[in-house]
Amino acid sequence: MQALNAVYINEIFKMSKKKKVTASLIFSFFSVIVTAIAVYALNNFAGISITGSSEFSIMVLAVLSYTFFPLFTAFICIDMFAGEFADHTIKFTLTGPASRFKVFLGKILAIAVFIIANLVLVMFLSLVASMFINRGMPNFFKILIAYIMEFFPILIFALAVVLISNITKGTTSAFMLSVFVFLVFNGVGLAFPYLKSLLFTAAFDWYRLALGSYINFGKILRVFLILLGYGIMLFTAGYYLFENKDI
Amino acid sequence: MLDKAIIIENLSKMYKNNRGIHDINLEIDRGEIFGFLGPNGAGKTTTMKIMVGLMKADKGDVILNGYRISKDYEKAMKKVGCIVESVNPFSYLTAYENMKLCGRFNNDVDGARIDECLEITGLIKYKNEKIKHYSLGMKQRIGIAMAILSNPEVLILDEPLNGLDVEGMVEMRKLILNLSEQHKTTFFISSHLIHDIELTCNKVGILYNGKLLGVDSTHNILKNYSSLENYYLSEVI
Repeated sequence: MQALNAVYINEIFKMSKKKKVTASLIFSFFSVIVTAIAVYALNNFAGISITGSSEFSIMVLAVLSYTFFPLFTAFICIDMFAGEFADHTIKFTLTGPASRFKVFLGKILAIAVFIIANLVLVMFLSLVASMFINRGMPNFFKILIAYIMEFFPILIFALAVVLISNITKGTTSAFMLSVFVFLVFNGVGLAFPYLKSLLFTAAFDWYRLALGSYINFGKILRVFLILLGYGIMLFTAGYYLFENKDI
Repeated sequence: MLDKAIIIENLSKMYKNNRGIHDINLEIDRGEIFGFLGPNGAGKTTTMKIMVGLMKADKGDVILNGYRISKDYEKAMKKVGCIVESVNPFSYLTAYENMKLCGRFNNDVDGARIDECLEITGLIKYKNEKIKHYSLGMKQRIGIAMAILSNPEVLILDEPLNGLDVEGMVEMRKLILNLSEQHKTTFFISSHLIHDIELTCNKVGILYNGKLLGVDSTHNILKNYSSLENYYLSEVI
């Protein structure tokens, strides 16, 4: 347990010292602020009602879940795996008294913490902003559920990027391939709607299932199980490659 | 305490270009300073990478402090420090922060121990400087500081004198001899600086074309040959 703990704390510490992480959090911060100003201006000066107080946080989530969230998560995953393989700093972690499984798990846990931090930051800011846009109180519970649900597909995407980072030999190729996979999965979902429910990228907005007046728990469970299946497969494949990689 | 600090059993690893190491068998006693000699491409780094788990062997195993790296990796590496191929600390962190990352794996390592290791390697003045501003020699020193941080019983050092100036080489040699004498630390050192191996190591093995040609004590070698260089040449030619 000490080895896993050491790897996990080390990864969190390294992340906190990286400019990319700080930049991504600042970017998330400003994207919420800019969206809030735009919505406020349209609501009050153009006479166009864009959102109510509850919907603003959801609108921000809808925009970021297909843009900055996966993008920033990909940056972190690539840095943590392909980046460390490319500059050989991975040797430092791998020659410590921790098995490769613990190193892999520690890194995934740190990525999960980053995703949570990003979601919490955006949720908090969007809630504050929504109170300024519309004077009514937002539905905290629904917003919280939506942001919690969004964690899962982003984590699955992170596991996909980790798998890609263990296949490719450099950070650029890992990033390009991750973007390609993201676009292909979304493209397939648009071109073949009957396949959409099988693609994890289609679950980026699955939180909508919990927002309506009627909640289809059966469908939520089905999507969750699909995500779980993806998670198990991607984690196993990523770990297999990581375990057997010669440095 | 086990007498054998390092046991290498039938170790083999072949690359796609048909180069690699073949059936290496070696035993190193506790407190010995073993010099691993060989030309470039002989397989020294490959052997050391397998010893510390950076590579998987095709065949054979390595036992460190009584534990097999293939089965009990964490226990095997618990009291092992290493530098393999090159020192690659995290460039965006300071020397102290890099040391702190290492220290988290061991409860006995605190701030005082980190400072002590930085003092030994002459980096204490620069401990809060980021590694990206370090020279090659300073990076090598931080690698050594990280390797000795947890008071390891076994130190595996691949070309530890790389990038060090003359003063640094002399200090490094003193450090190795001191750790071996006072703490019975076992060393496994690869180098192509044959003179330095002669001065530092009390046991020498020669690796050539992936095969271990001979292992003997430096004392015995120097009884029969005028220098280690002559012994090396007699083995490989």
